[in-house]
Amino acid sequence: MKSSRKRPLEERILEWCCRGDFLEEILGDLYEYREELEEYPAWQRPWRFWFQAFNFIRPSLAKKLINIQKLNLLGMILHNFTITFRGFRRHKSSFLINLIGLSTGFAASILIALWVLDECTVDKFNANDDRLYRVMAHFQLPEQKVTWDYTSGRMARSMKEEFPEIDKATRINNHFFVPAGVLETPQGNLEIEGIFADPNLFDVLDYELITGDPATALTDLKSIVITQGLAEKLHGSVEGAMGKDFHWSSSLFDETFRVTGVVESPPSNASMQFETIINYQILVNRDKWADEWNGGYAETFLLLKEGVDPMAFEGKIVNYYDDKINNDRFTLFLQKFSDQYLYGDFEDGQLIGGRIENVRLFLLIAIFILVIASINFINLTTAQASIKLKEIGIKKSLGGSRQQLIGQFLQESITLSFVSICMAVLLVYGVLPIFNLLTGKILVLDLLSIGGYLFLMGLVLGLLAGIYPAFYLSSFSAIKIIRGQLSLGGQWIRKILVIIQFAISLVFIVEVLVIHQQLDFMEQKPLGYNRQNVLTFKGRGAREVDLQAFKNELSAIPGVSSVSSMMGAFLWGNDSGSGYIWNNEPENANYLFKSPKMGYGVLETLEIELAAGRLFDPERNDDRTKVIINESALKMMNIENPIGYKLGYGQGEEKREIIGVVKDFQYGSMHQEIEPVLIRFRENGRNFILRLEPGTEISTIDKIESLYSQFYPKYVFNGRFLDDSYSALYDTEQRIGGLSGYFALLAILISCLGLLGLATFTTARRVKEIGIRKVMGCETWRIIYLLTSDFTKMVLIAILIGIPLSYLAGNKWLENFAYAIDLEWWLFVLAGITALLIAWFTVGIYTVKAATANPVEALKDE
Amino acid sequence: MAKEYLGELEELILLLILMLKEEAYGLAIRKALREHAGRTVTIGAVHGTVNRLESKGFVESNLGGATDERGGRRKRIFTLTAEGKSLLHKSQDVKVNLWRQIPELSLSNTQ
Repeated sequence: MKSSRKRPLEERILEWCCRGDFLEEILGDLYEYREELEEYPAWQRPWRFWFQAFNFIRPSLAKKLINIQKLNLLGMILHNFTITFRGFRRHKSSFLINLIGLSTGFAASILIALWVLDECTVDKFNANDDRLYRVMAHFQLPEQKVTWDYTSGRMARSMKEEFPEIDKATRINNHFFVPAGVLETPQGNLEIEGIFADPNLFDVLDYELITGDPATALTDLKSIVITQGLAEKLHGSVEGAMGKDFHWSSSLFDETFRVTGVVESPPSNASMQFETIINYQILVNRDKWADEWNGGYAETFLLLKEGVDPMAFEGKIVNYYDDKINNDRFTLFLQKFSDQYLYGDFEDGQLIGGRIENVRLFLLIAIFILVIASINFINLTTAQASIKLKEIGIKKSLGGSRQQLIGQFLQESITLSFVSICMAVLLVYGVLPIFNLLTGKILVLDLLSIGGYLFLMGLVLGLLAGIYPAFYLSSFSAIKIIRGQLSLGGQWIRKILVIIQFAISLVFIVEVLVIHQQLDFMEQKPLGYNRQNVLTFKGRGAREVDLQAFKNELSAIPGVSSVSSMMGAFLWGNDSGSGYIWNNEPENANYLFKSPKMGYGVLETLEIELAAGRLFDPERNDDRTKVIINESALKMMNIENPIGYKLGYGQGEEKREIIGVVKDFQYGSMHQEIEPVLIRFRENGRNFILRLEPGTEISTIDKIESLYSQFYPKYVFNGRFLDDSYSALYDTEQRIGGLSGYFALLAILISCLGLLGLATFTTARRVKEIGIRKVMGCETWRIIYLLTSDFTKMVLIAILIGIPLSYLAGNKWLENFAYAIDLEWWLFVLAGITALLIAWFTVGIYTVKAATANPVEALKDE
Repeated sequence: MAKEYLGELEELILLLILMLKEEAYGLAIRKALREHAGRTVTIGAVHGTVNRLESKGFVESNLGGATDERGGRRKRIFTLTAEGKSLLHKSQDVKVNLWRQIPELSLSNTQ
C-alpha cells in the first residue's frame, strides 16, 4: 500500500473510477500521450493532459453500477430496508417513541419555519426594496430620545427638491390621522379604513393598479382608489366599481368620491393595510399642519437612486430639520422600508430590536425541539445496542465491513427520519388551521416549494441523529461479542444527552412561566385608572347629533353611574399636540405632548386621581384655554407653582392655564413608559366613556344600545368594555405567549418520551437483577429508589445547568418591556420541581411496574 | 444484429482499425483519426467507442506486448470480427447505392 502513495494522482483517480479491465491500456495510452504533448507550449500541457485524463471518466469505461460488486450494494440497501422495517415492527415501543418524537418535532419545526418565513417576508414585496427607505426621527427629550416613524408632511417634497440622490419621494398619513369612516353604499353602510397619499404613491411603492391610470388616479381631490377586495365586495367585480361614486364620511371629511382606480389588495404580509386611498391634500385642506414643518403628520418614503450609499446619504440629512423648524432637537435617520416590521423598537435613539426578537425566540425553540427529538433517537438506539449485538456480531464474523454496518445504521436512521417527515407533513396539514387561528396569519404549506428543504432536513437530521449510534454500534469487536465479553460503554454519553434534554426542557418551563407572569403583570399592573366596568363606544357619522342631549339621556338610564366623552380613543392615545411654551423658552413650543381632548367627567369616570388643583368643572364653565397636566409633565416642565400657571400658546392665541395636576396614568401605547400628558378641554368628544354599576350590565347595555340606534340610526352599536380593549392591546404578546407555551409543552413531552423509552429499556435489562433482589428480600421502595436514583441525579444536574441559562434567556425577553416583572427565585424552584416531578412520573410508571412484578416471572427460565 | 447501425465515428474507427492492422490501439487510432480524417477527439472518446464496438461484437481485442514508452504497460490491439467487416461492407453498399441513385446532373448543379 505504501507504493500507492507515490503513484501519480491521475492514476489513482482513474483506478478508482474506471473498470479494472480497461485500466492498463488506458493508463498506457495516457503515459504515451505525454510525448505528443511536447508539440504544445508548456503552459498548455498540464491542462491538456488533465483534460484527456478526465475524459476517460465516461459511462462506457467507468465502473458500472450493475456489475457484480455493485449489485451487492443495491442488494444490501434493500436488505437494510428489510431489517429496518423488521426492527420497527419488532421494537414497536421504541419505534413509536422515536416516530412520535421526531414527527411532532418536525411538525413543530415546519410550523415555526412557516411562521418565521412569513414574518421575514413582511413588506419585502417592493421590487425596489433595496432602495426604498423611510425617514425616521429621533427627538431629544430632556432625559432620553424618543423615536418616531413620522415626520413633517413637507419633508418628502422638500427633500426631493434638495437632494439629487433621491429618485422619488412620497408621503402618506401617519397613524394619528387615518381616513376611517362610513362608506354609504347601495348595500348599506360600511365602515372602512384608508390612507391619505400623494398622487405619486404608485411610483414609489409597488401597489399595482388593476384599472385606472397610476399617474392621474389620485390627482383629483374627489378621486378615490379602492382595493380589489373592496371593489368586489361592493360591486362584485373590479370593472363594475370603476367610475362609481361613493359618499364617505369621517371625522376629517364628508365627501363624495369617484372611483378612479382599483388597486390590488395589499398582500397579507404587508404591514400597511388599507381599503381606499385618497389624496393627502384632503388632509391638508382639513388641517393646515399636515403640510407644515411643525406638524408631524406624515410618513415619508424615499426611493434612492441606484448606487446611492444610504449611510452616506443619511449623514446628509441628519440635521435637515434644524433650520426648518429652528431647533436642533430632531435628528433624522433612514430605515429600510422593509426593516421596520422586524426592527421597529427604539430606545433612547438606539435600535433595540422589535419583532425580530420573536423570530429569534421561535427559531431557537425550533432548533431545541429538533435537538431534543434527535437526542431521543440517539439515546434509544445506543441503548438498544445490546439487542443489536448479535446482529452485529454475526454480520461482522461473516465478513461484513464496518462501513457496511455504519451504512446500515445510518440508513435506518435516515429511513426513520423520512417516515417522520411524512407523518409531520400530514400533522402540519391537520394543525395548520388551528395554528393560523393562534397566530392570526394565513399560512399555507406549499409542498412543492419546500419539498426540497424537507428532504434536506430529513437527510441532515437522519445523519446527525444516526451518526453516533452508527459509529458506536459498528465499533464492537465481533470476537468479544460472540464470546460475550463485551461490556457496553457509552453510558455517559447517554447521560449527558439526557441532561442536555432536561436542561433545555427546564429553560422552556422557566420561559413559559416568565411569559405568563409578564402577561399577568401587564394585565394587573396598576394603570392609574380603574378600567373595570367602564364601557366605551363611539359616536359616528353625521356630526349634527346633539351630543349633549344624547349624554343627558344616557345619564338617565338606571345602572349608568357616570357619562363622559372625549376626542380620540383613550387606549390608543393617538392624540397629541404642541405649541405650549413654558419658562419663557420659545423652543418648548416644539414639544409634542400626549394630549387627549377630554370633556367634563372623563377623569372622574376613569377614577384618575388628582394630585393638585381641580378637574374640569361644568359649574365653572371651563373652556379650551384650560389644561390639566400629569405628574410626568410637571416634572419635565419643571414649573414651581403649576396651578394657575399660564402656558404660552402661539401668537395671538390666548394662554393656556394649568388648572390641575393628576397622578400619572397609562395613556396610549402599552409598551411605552408613561409620558408627559397635557389634557386639553373639549366639551363634546364623540368617544363615550361610561361607568356602569356592577350587577346589571347586560340590561343596561341593552338600553344604551337602543338609545344609540335612535341617535345614530345608520350605525351598529359597538360598545366594548375598557378592560377587554385593554387586553386586546396585548394580542401579539398573548399570541406569542400562547404559542411558545404550546411549543415548550411539546418539547417537554418529547424529552419525557425519550426518558420513558430509556427507563423502559434500562428497567427491562435489569429485570433479573430486580427479581433476585426481591427474592433476597429487598423491599419494593428500595428497588424503586435504585431504579430512579440515576435519573434523579441526571435531572438534578440538568436543573443546575438549566437555571442560569433560563435566567439569561428570561432577562433577555423581558428587556422588550418598559415595565417588566423581576425574575424571582421561586420561578426557578417551581420549574425545577416541575421538571423533577415530570421525570419521576415518567420513569415511575415503569419502575413501579417492574418493582412490584412477581420475581418468579423474571427468574423462571434461569 | 440486423438492427445495428454505425455512427460516423464508429465507422471511421472500424476502417482505421482495418488500416492500422497490428498497430490498432487506442492512442494510435486517435492519431490516425487526426491525420486521415481531420478529427481530433480525446483518447477517452476513442476508448469509449472501441469498447462499445467490442461489446456489440464488431471488434475483438487482445493485449499486445509491453513497451517502455508506455510505462511498462501493454497495449490492447483491436481487430475486426467477421460481423464488423460485414457491417462495414453493408454500410458501404448502402452509401454507394445511394450515390448511384443520384443523377449526375443534379449533383453537379448543387456543387
